[in-house]
Amino acid sequence: MSAEQPERVFCPVCLAKFKFANGWKEGDTVICPICGQKLRLRRGPEGWVGDRPEKGSEKEIRERAEEYARLRGYVFNEIKEELIQGLIAKNRRFGDFYCPCRMEHNPEYQCPCKPTRGGDVEKNGRCYCGFFWKKA
Amino acid sequence: MAKKPKVYALSTCPYCKRTRRFLDAHRVDYECIEVDQLDDAKQDQALEEIKKLTGKQSFPVVVIGDDIIVGHDEDKLRRALKI
Repeated sequence: MSAEQPERVFCPVCLAKFKFANGWKEGDTVICPICGQKLRLRRGPEGWVGDRPEKGSEKEIRERAEEYARLRGYVFNEIKEELIQGLIAKNRRFGDFYCPCRMEHNPEYQCPCKPTRGGDVEKNGRCYCGFFWKKA
Repeated sequence: MAKKPKVYALSTCPYCKRTRRFLDAHRVDYECIEVDQLDDAKQDQALEEIKKLTGKQSFPVVVIGDDIIVGHDEDKLRRALKI
């Protein structure tokens, strides 16, 4: 018998998988450690997936942004509220919370966008649209 | 007569809104193109114009005579508008 692989959870926001922690069970609410999304655990045919309990709501994007900033130690500035409104408008028009400062509306630019998750804030002090900032 | 200033913007971008607010506050008569609101053919054309002007796809883009200002920059706007 081969060694058991640790189970993983698929996040539908950042499209990545993260480790299933000891003690978690179906129906639990967890935070994706990669993008900050709140997820409800469900056992699907392909393994664990996280459902978005408040998909598309203002609450969802606000919580995701706060969690992501907390996880990475980032801060916001005075343009935060205007960017939240831009994200809400993107969701209304294109069906999800894509970066309000980009033309594209594809999963790569779901907030926090892939370049941000890839370290843009560390490199540039801020993300592309100036939502997340490195602590001074 | 000099050509009207032109703004390429995204309807969801707060920096584009700030640029427009600045121009409005200074009573500048300008043309604004909300690129994300255009139909596909017009959008392709606008993006092509932006690429030609700036070499990238970043918003807002303001064209004032020979000046091309990328991003919301009130100092550059003032200089270009001579205000």
